[in-house]
Amino acid sequence: MLLQQIINGITIGSTYALVAIGFTMVFGVLELTNFANGSLYMLGAYLSLMLYLATGNFWVSFAGSIILTGAAGYLIERLALRHLRQKGAPKLSALITTLGMSMLLDNLVMICFGSESKPFPNKLDFGRFTIGSAVVSYTQVIILAVACILMLILSLVVYKTKLGKAMRCTAQNMEAARLMGINTNQIIAMTFVIAGALACISGTLVGMYYSSIDVSMGSMIGMKIFASAILGGVGVLPGAVVGGLCMGILETVVAGFVSSGYRDAIAFTVLIVVLLFRPSGLFGKKQINKV
Amino acid sequence: MALLKLENVSVSYGKIKALDNINLEIGEGRIVTLIGANGAGKSTAMRTVMGLKHCDGGKVWFDGLDITNKDTGYMVKQGIILSPEGRQIFPGFTVRDNLFMGAYLKTKEEAAETIDMVYELFPKLKAREKQTAGTLSGGEQQMLALGRAIMGRPRLLLLDEPSLGLAPLIILEIFEEIKKINEMGTTILLVEQNAKVALKVSDMAYVLETGKVVLHDTAQALLNSDKVQKAYFGGFAEG
Repeated sequence: MLLQQIINGITIGSTYALVAIGFTMVFGVLELTNFANGSLYMLGAYLSLMLYLATGNFWVSFAGSIILTGAAGYLIERLALRHLRQKGAPKLSALITTLGMSMLLDNLVMICFGSESKPFPNKLDFGRFTIGSAVVSYTQVIILAVACILMLILSLVVYKTKLGKAMRCTAQNMEAARLMGINTNQIIAMTFVIAGALACISGTLVGMYYSSIDVSMGSMIGMKIFASAILGGVGVLPGAVVGGLCMGILETVVAGFVSSGYRDAIAFTVLIVVLLFRPSGLFGKKQINKV
Repeated sequence: MALLKLENVSVSYGKIKALDNINLEIGEGRIVTLIGANGAGKSTAMRTVMGLKHCDGGKVWFDGLDITNKDTGYMVKQGIILSPEGRQIFPGFTVRDNLFMGAYLKTKEEAAETIDMVYELFPKLKAREKQTAGTLSGGEQQMLALGRAIMGRPRLLLLDEPSLGLAPLIILEIFEEIKKINEMGTTILLVEQNAKVALKVSDMAYVLETGKVVLHDTAQALLNSDKVQKAYFGGFAEG
């Protein structure tokens, strides 16, 4: 029973981790809490489904949806946030802008596709097997594998490539990064595209896992990602992964052993406990600024 | 012909004029210093040259090329590099990674070549190559900032307050290195609170007051000028 819950938790947690990575990357570069991230997750799932219904080819639709959701992330940065930055607006304005973008996306999807939940085809349904008393579906295995591969690729990009170095420079000191000749606007835009694409992949995987999607899936995951990122330490990539996994496992264990009614409450409990006892999160360091 | 030329440049922050019709010239191979009190517009002048701040009027010329209000990446490509006030190194990176970031727009081969030169100039940096930059002392951080700037192979190097917060002996050491960098063929524009030390290594100097050039002459002449001594050497500074 416990094993079963943990396996389910890791599966769902790995999808949280994917979204949390995008969230935490944006935070790292801009010190901005991107509330629109959850909406991109929902948008990605909807686009995958709608493109599939229109074209009939799921994998092409999935790929198209990743590109479109990445583009949506880019547009949020290009059309709104960049202007705020260039005008020297306070960070709070940017934060509220992402909230506005989130509402805009949620309502746009609702107007276009309706508010009722939609059945989602599970193209990963290749049966199931058992480990001891626990039943594991191949859908879960594939979700976990995709999440792991993406995390691996991302950490290679961030820690081994020139683009990743430029990202980390921009995160540490944006003006100094510009003085190196780094086009920081491009780097920031790139970060939003990655965050959008990850949200889309995660949203679509979850859609297949639960075989249904609805408009409100975005706002809930937004809060859970926020809690995961805080648990791991905001702005720290490994923190986002561990935070997301912990959140998924905690959630399913509580749902299994206490009551499934508390499933969503656990995120906020964790958030409050972490903020009370370890505000910088599991992997976050207290910033020491040497002058 | 002057390598850098500012022609009637005006810059403002909102309604406040930070630079008011500035004219300035830097000859190739020279060290030129801007001196002036806080808020006189020295740093603004440098930020304008780098394209970090746009000017409302006037022109900036670099080697005959109009670079007015171009973006910072373009300036770096042309060979104008700023080592900013407060050093602004990347504290989470190692010394070596910091240096390589300075060569961001260069090829790997160019960077590998230049880093040997930097290590020759600052052997201390070589010794601390693998150390995280945030753990260096102030003087070492300043050397790293200088080294990182050199990694971009500047034709014109802008140095904003390289002596800030450093002990007097370290300041002399830093200025020795600045002279060496100049002798290797780099033109330098220097902003310094520590006017006396700066003038001693400079060829020319401009005195700024509330956004205007009030005086410009050879560094030697300004060193001997009563007016400058009273206003900027603080009376007690000797040596």
